[in-house]
Amino acid sequence: MSLLNPQSSTINRSSRSESSNAANLGPTVKPLYEVKETDDAYGLTVYLPGVSKENLEITAEAGELRIVGRRAWQQPEGWTALYRESANASYALSLSHDNSLDVDAIAAELRDGVLRVSLPKAEALKPRKIAVS
Amino acid sequence: MRLVRYTYPTLRSPVSALGSFSRSPWSGLESEIDRLFETALGGLTEGSSTTRFPVDIYEDKENTYVRAELPGVSRDDINVEMVEDYLTISASRKTAAAKEDGQPEQSLSFSRSVTIPEQVQSEKVSAAYENGVLTVTLPKREEAKPKKVSVSVR
Repeated sequence: MSLLNPQSSTINRSSRSESSNAANLGPTVKPLYEVKETDDAYGLTVYLPGVSKENLEITAEAGELRIVGRRAWQQPEGWTALYRESANASYALSLSHDNSLDVDAIAAELRDGVLRVSLPKAEALKPRKIAVS
Repeated sequence: MRLVRYTYPTLRSPVSALGSFSRSPWSGLESEIDRLFETALGGLTEGSSTTRFPVDIYEDKENTYVRAELPGVSRDDINVEMVEDYLTISASRKTAAAKEDGQPEQSLSFSRSVTIPEQVQSEKVSAAYENGVLTVTLPKREEAKPKKVSVSVR
């Protein structure tokens, strides 16, 4: 079973980013992440240093899980950068899955710049009756 | 800081050379461009899994600031030391997920030393940790601060 294949998201230039705020994100970087699988869930760990809860957005739709984090910290006025290794760019990560997740039961926790998302696997897909009108 | 990482030419060159006979010459272009951006920007995110984490240095009139991205580290596991001009930040991270699996707890340690360009009052150094970023504030010594001397002209 295939889960969570990263989509090309290093540079957010795709046309499908119609979501409200994608336009003003500017350049984004793909954060470091890990995926672990257990019998009934996937565990996703994303390292997002500098992102606070208010600046984090997780959307799950149409087989895609999208995580966007903006940095909460802005360089205060009067501070001069002498040496930089980190980037100011926002984080964006898009992972696609094959709809075998229970999207309503996704739970996420952000602590000290580490986001842990638990993605429970869906119950066996139930046959659905479609009413013909 | 490097701008573009050098990528060692691996197997991809002969493969793409062979592939170009069978496919349109442009078919590999998009993936090639993606790879270029991955290489250029990849270095920005690699910090948190390796033992080298990204560090920024700022200054204003009063202080020098060092900011280090250390996601997922508990405050007790961060050590900040100031020896002469060197500021050493070391930290260790325990993998929380390992407890659930019943596996032994693993820990990962990081260490980084930076030279502080200005003379600082090492006894007044303070540090704060928020959202996975450590900010160390190093007050400058009086003699290192910019001074305003007013000269009266007669």
